[in-house]
Amino acid sequence: MSDKSIVKSRRRFRARHRGRGAQVWIYLGKLLRMFVYQNDWKVLPMAALIAGLVGMVIRKKMFLNMEGTIMGSFALVCVAIWNGCFNSIQVICRERDVIKREHRSGMHISSYIFSHMLYQFLLCLMQTGVTMYVTKLTGVRYPAEGLFTPWLIVDLGISMLLITYASDMLSLWVSTLAHTTTTAMTIMPFVLIFQLVFSGGMLTLPAWTEPLTHFTISNPGLKVIAAQADTNNRPFVTISNMVDKMKDNEVGGTVTVGQVLDLLADKDNPTVAEIRAMEIGKVFTVGEIREMLEKSETFQQLKAEHVLDDMDVGDIIDAILEEDALKPLREYSIPKLNITVGEAIALLQGVDGVKDVADTKITRQTTVGDVLDMVDAAGIMEKYKDVELGGVTTVGEAVDWLAGLDDVQARRDKSFTFKTTLGRLIDLVGEKNVRSFLEEKAAAASYKADYEMRWDNIVEYWLHLLAFILAFGLLSTITLEFIDKDKR
Amino acid sequence: MESLILNGTFDLWDFICDVYFGSKSWFYVITGVLYMAGLWKMFEKSGLKGWWALIPCAREYQLSRCAGREPEGRMLSVFTFIGILTATFGMAPYAALTGTGMTKEVAGTLVLVISFTLGIVAIIYNIRIATGLIEVYGVKKRWMVLWILMDAIPAMVWGFNPKYQPAWKVEDIKAELEKLAHQGSADVMDEGLTVNLRDRTVTEFFQKKVLLRDIHMAIPQGHMVLLLGGSGAGKTTYLNAINGYEPAKAEVLLNGTNMYKQYKKMQYEVGFVPQSEMMRGKDTVYYTLLDAAKLRLPQDVSAAQRKARVDEVMEIFGLTPVKNNLVEKLSGGQKKRLSISMEFISNPSLFILDEPDSGLDGVMARELFVQLRKIADTGKIVIVITHTPDRVIDLFDDVIVLAKDSARTGRLAFYGSIEDARKFFGRDRMEQIVKSVNRVEEGGDGLADEFVMKYAEAQKVGGAA
Repeated sequence: MSDKSIVKSRRRFRARHRGRGAQVWIYLGKLLRMFVYQNDWKVLPMAALIAGLVGMVIRKKMFLNMEGTIMGSFALVCVAIWNGCFNSIQVICRERDVIKREHRSGMHISSYIFSHMLYQFLLCLMQTGVTMYVTKLTGVRYPAEGLFTPWLIVDLGISMLLITYASDMLSLWVSTLAHTTTTAMTIMPFVLIFQLVFSGGMLTLPAWTEPLTHFTISNPGLKVIAAQADTNNRPFVTISNMVDKMKDNEVGGTVTVGQVLDLLADKDNPTVAEIRAMEIGKVFTVGEIREMLEKSETFQQLKAEHVLDDMDVGDIIDAILEEDALKPLREYSIPKLNITVGEAIALLQGVDGVKDVADTKITRQTTVGDVLDMVDAAGIMEKYKDVELGGVTTVGEAVDWLAGLDDVQARRDKSFTFKTTLGRLIDLVGEKNVRSFLEEKAAAASYKADYEMRWDNIVEYWLHLLAFILAFGLLSTITLEFIDKDKR
Repeated sequence: MESLILNGTFDLWDFICDVYFGSKSWFYVITGVLYMAGLWKMFEKSGLKGWWALIPCAREYQLSRCAGREPEGRMLSVFTFIGILTATFGMAPYAALTGTGMTKEVAGTLVLVISFTLGIVAIIYNIRIATGLIEVYGVKKRWMVLWILMDAIPAMVWGFNPKYQPAWKVEDIKAELEKLAHQGSADVMDEGLTVNLRDRTVTEFFQKKVLLRDIHMAIPQGHMVLLLGGSGAGKTTYLNAINGYEPAKAEVLLNGTNMYKQYKKMQYEVGFVPQSEMMRGKDTVYYTLLDAAKLRLPQDVSAAQRKARVDEVMEIFGLTPVKNNLVEKLSGGQKKRLSISMEFISNPSLFILDEPDSGLDGVMARELFVQLRKIADTGKIVIVITHTPDRVIDLFDDVIVLAKDSARTGRLAFYGSIEDARKFFGRDRMEQIVKSVNRVEEGGDGLADEFVMKYAEAQKVGGAA
């Protein structure tokens, strides 16, 4: 060391160096350069591929029915978690040595993590954009209006971004915990399984695991997507689809008339009550009835039948008004007119035309047609052709009237055997009616308050996800501060 | 293993059987007692207290110390502790905390799953510890089978049979520390590096370990110093201690300023070049250096000055032709030069390099050391660790020799000029000096204690350095 020139080094240690804020931009710039050089850009086409695959599966079900919407929501949450987790799982641990070196050169861990948070946010934003666009391309029909923006796809995009970003931050934390990429990738499946199993939406979990769902991103993630997709107001089609598949199944057995009547009278049975409330019947004019009768072969045959005994028209009218056997006919209420048959005939007795023919004799040769001609039925019908008869009634009223008939009651114990298919039975009530009934009832039974499309619900889930993001960001910083436990 | 508390009844005998023997079966109880008796004697043979054998969790760790497998022992102790907790309380705390109606069946199943998982891990760590014991007792590997099937038998044989003795005993570090007095101190220099290190310790699993002891030296400015020592002698620990990154019980002054007390400011005065290239391979050479400049140079340095400094450093280290290349595309020598230039950019007063020539051929290594010599000639202190010192020894001014003493603590065996070192050790080549202080089982001469004492004596009379 004899003749070596020794240059005194300057004492520069009093100079200020870059603080936390300035360091964030150094690392953000570095990360953005690496986006190109380090193949980070590959996450975008990857996101497109994943979204394409999922989109093709959910496009025909999402937003169309309840099950499809829940399944689609879960699939979208899985996509978001998958994208987020794999964005950052290796970013810290793969350069742990570099961080250590830079940390001893004055790098602030908080700046480093924050720059990663910013960078990952940009990455997640691009991925979410790609995911939403590709799912739309594959045919997922997003409803038009959202709660917060004029487009539901944008509302959903915000949720997807938060889920992706929260997962990204979770992975960032795992990456700070793991010392090598191998360890990080070993931990990853456990993280994913935990997220999927304890999402609380797809699998029915025992009560004791309920608290665990609060620690998953998938739980608020699924809730927010399902709520935005208005899941509660979608029909639940699984049961009706199942019934549809069973249409050809044969059903049958021996039942008595009484059993059928009792079943149809059971107003406490919601299904029967629903059927009973259905309206039946049609209003006919007298003219339409005449037309139908003239076209009816049975009626034409009846007209040719001979009346048995000699009698006049007045006797027939008296018989209707007095004979016990004809009491049900007498007491039958003509719908809409609110009078019974008896009362109607009594009224007819006062009509001039009817009075004139009351004494007309009916002989054995007289046919029913002759009788009708005698009372000028055609003329009367023509006269009252525009009068409406009948009316809308319910199945229940019809059943009750039928059950009240003595003849029917007398046949209660009569049994009959039937054999039919489920499809035919459904046809009796109307397939559309059965389907809408089942879908509405099943949807009501599957109602979940968590999936209610309300702004306060959605904001709550967004805040939940935001809390995860901040918590994992903070945990990452704290964990990485211990990168060298002996450091100052 | 069933949860005792969750089952509603707590039976002390059940508890003891679960914790000590793993079962209530008499077979397990008898073999468990024999195992503990054997361990008691094994611990005594290794210089430990025999009663550790009676304490679950602790005995696993103590056994690993006998086997020289402490990390495995720590893990096994933790797993054993979790196993005992699970067996005792089951999932009751979780159920109580969350207020969930967890049924006994569910809790029992979970306890079984956890116990089974821990059991698998415990077997693996047990095998690792048994491997260490086999080495320590110098027995055949087939003992492993017996240890796994019924550990009571080998424990009894190794413990009670005087024919089986461990190759070495577990040292009582505390007693060793008390025995050895701190020796000497270096005079503080206004310009240069003064190190007065009393000790550097770490605590692992409640056990204090001394990594370095009594290292005192004063290195003048402009010196290029070679740091020698066998593996595990504490070279990197020493460098981390003097640059303040891993503080020791010491006083380290650089140009009169205390490194520890003013660490935040002084960290820019130290350039530490790690052994491996800790750089991002996907960034370009230019931007790597520019970012390093932004981090290391003071804030008031303008962008133009910063760029000029980057260009200057690239020129010095011959990196200009590859400035736009990705770091991962550089050759080994270029990567080393880039790694050094990242630290050199802030013009530090103390320059520390951990094996900068690893992976380089002789010619490239020589070129690198010539460059380092030039840096030292600008008035900086350059400390270099290298395992092939003889090819470049003419470039160094001084040499530090660290050695692992009988207590496995890194000690200063020599600090002084190259010529003095040759005389002190009686060996011409630096590699021979390293061999002389290495332990016998590492292929060395095992003279570490001797040279440490000799150097300490020489220091007392104001000799060697």
